[in-house]
Amino acid sequence: MFLYGFMQRAFQASLLISLIAPFLGLFLILRRQSLMADTLAHVSLAGVALGLLVSINPTWTNILMVIVIAVLLEYMRMLYRTYSEVSVAILMSSGMALALFLMSLNQGGTSLNINQFLFGSIVTISKEQVWILYLLAGFILCLYLIFRKAMYVMIFDEETAFTAGLPIKTMSILFNVLTGVTIAIIMPIVGALLVSAILIIPAAISMRLSRSFSSTILIGIPITLTGMLSGLVTSYEYGTPPGATITLILVTILAIIAIFKKLTQVFKLV
Amino acid sequence: MHYIKVAELAFHYEKQPVLTNISFELNPGDFVMLTGENGAAKTTLLRNVLGLLKPTTGQVSLSPKNRFGEKLTLGYVPQQVASFNVGFPSTVLELVNSGRYQRGKWFRKLNKDDKEQVRLALESVGMWDMRYKKIGELSGGQKQRISIARVFATDPDLFVLDEPTTGMDTKSREEFYKLLKHNSEVHGKGILMVSHDHEELRNYCNKHIELIRQEGLPWRCFSMDSCKELSKPHFSSL
Repeated sequence: MFLYGFMQRAFQASLLISLIAPFLGLFLILRRQSLMADTLAHVSLAGVALGLLVSINPTWTNILMVIVIAVLLEYMRMLYRTYSEVSVAILMSSGMALALFLMSLNQGGTSLNINQFLFGSIVTISKEQVWILYLLAGFILCLYLIFRKAMYVMIFDEETAFTAGLPIKTMSILFNVLTGVTIAIIMPIVGALLVSAILIIPAAISMRLSRSFSSTILIGIPITLTGMLSGLVTSYEYGTPPGATITLILVTILAIIAIFKKLTQVFKLV
Repeated sequence: MHYIKVAELAFHYEKQPVLTNISFELNPGDFVMLTGENGAAKTTLLRNVLGLLKPTTGQVSLSPKNRFGEKLTLGYVPQQVASFNVGFPSTVLELVNSGRYQRGKWFRKLNKDDKEQVRLALESVGMWDMRYKKIGELSGGQKQRISIARVFATDPDLFVLDEPTTGMDTKSREEFYKLLKHNSEVHGKGILMVSHDHEELRNYCNKHIELIRQEGLPWRCFSMDSCKELSKPHFSSL
C-alpha cells in the first residue's frame, strides 16, 4: 500500500492536516464557534457549485466565497452577540440553499464533481493539493508561533483583550478567514460533510486530556495523526470512505477517553 | 494630568436613558470608589470608560500616556469572566502570565523580571501554591483571586475593577484594599473600582462617586451628585 503514489500523497496530506487541525479546532471550540466549520463547509459547496457553473477552477471560487462569508460571520456574530449561534444557523442554511440553487442551474453532468466535494476523497489527492497543504500548514504554524499569546488573551475574554489594546475585530475576522481558507482547501480531501469533525473532535479529545493550553494543542497533533492514519489504512483495507472512517475512529477515541476518565473518577471516590 | 476624563456623559440603552450628567476626572494616584444601588448602571459606566460602549452624548477620554510619558497600560477585572468554565484548558500560571503580555511581551518571551512579577502577584492573593491547577477547577473566590493576580502581574498604570472582592472574606478584602492603596499612594497608580462595601472601602480610597436616582429623571436613569473627595491623595504626580 505504501508503494502507491496516491497513498504516499494521502499520508503526507494526513500529516499536514494533523498539524493544522488542533490549532483551529481548539480556537473554534473556545470561541464557541464549533459549528462555524460546518457553516463554512456548507458555504464552500456553494463556492464549488459557482466555479463549476462558470467553468472556473472551483478551488478559487470556493476560497473567494468562504472569505466573504467568514467576514460576514463576524459581522453577524456582533449583531446577534447574545445568541451568536443564530448567525451560524442563518449562514449555514443560506450556504446550502445557494449551493443547491447553483447546482440546479448547472445540469450538465456535474453531480460527480459535487459528490467528490461533498464526501471527499483522500486517495485522489493531487500533487498540487499536497503543495498547497504544505504552504497552508507552514503559514498557520508561523501565525500560531507569532500570535499565540494574543490569541490566548482574546479567547479567554474578548473584553479584557480589547482593554489590553488588541485589535479584536481584525483578529476575529482574520481567524475566520483563515479557518475558511483551510476548510476550502481540505474539503475536497475529507468532504464538506465531515470537515468540521476533523477539526473539532481531536481538539475536544485533547481538551479532556490536558491541563494547560499549550499542551492541549501539542496533544491534539498525535491524536489527529492517529485518527487520520488509522482511518486511511482502514479505508484502504476495507474500501470504506476515508472521511467517514477517520471520523468514526476519532469519535471512538473520544468515547474511550470519556469512559476511562469517568471510571478513574469513580475509582478515586471509592 | 488625568488618566480618565469623563465630561457630561449620557448613555441610553435602546433610547432608554440609564446614565446622565456624569462628569469626573481620575488622576495618577487617585483611588476612586464607584458605588450605587443594584442596577445603578455602575458597570455600564465602567464599560463606557473602557470604550466597550459608546456614550450617547458627552465625552470619555483615556490618557494615551502614563505619567512618565510611556504608553498607558490598563488592567481590567470584569465582574464575570465567561471563560471560567471547567473545560477551559489553562493553568493558573498560564493565565496570570498572560497579564504580562501587554507589557511589550506579545511577541517576546517572558524574562526573569516578568516571572518574578507573576510570582509576587500570585503570592499577594495566596494562590502561588495553586499555580499548576486548571482554572476551571477553582472555586468562585479563587477565580476572583487569580483575576486580581493577573492584573497585579500586569502592574498597570490604571486599574479598572468591577466588584473584584465578590467571594472574598473580610481579611482578604482588607489586604487587597491595602495593596491597592499602596499602589495608588506610593506608585501613583490610578484606580477606579466598583464596590458595594462603602464603609469598609472609604478608609482606603480618596474619592467617592455615587450613582443616584435624581428627581425629575426618567425611572431607571442614574446620575451622580458630585465626586466627593474623602481625603487628599498622598501621591503627587508633579
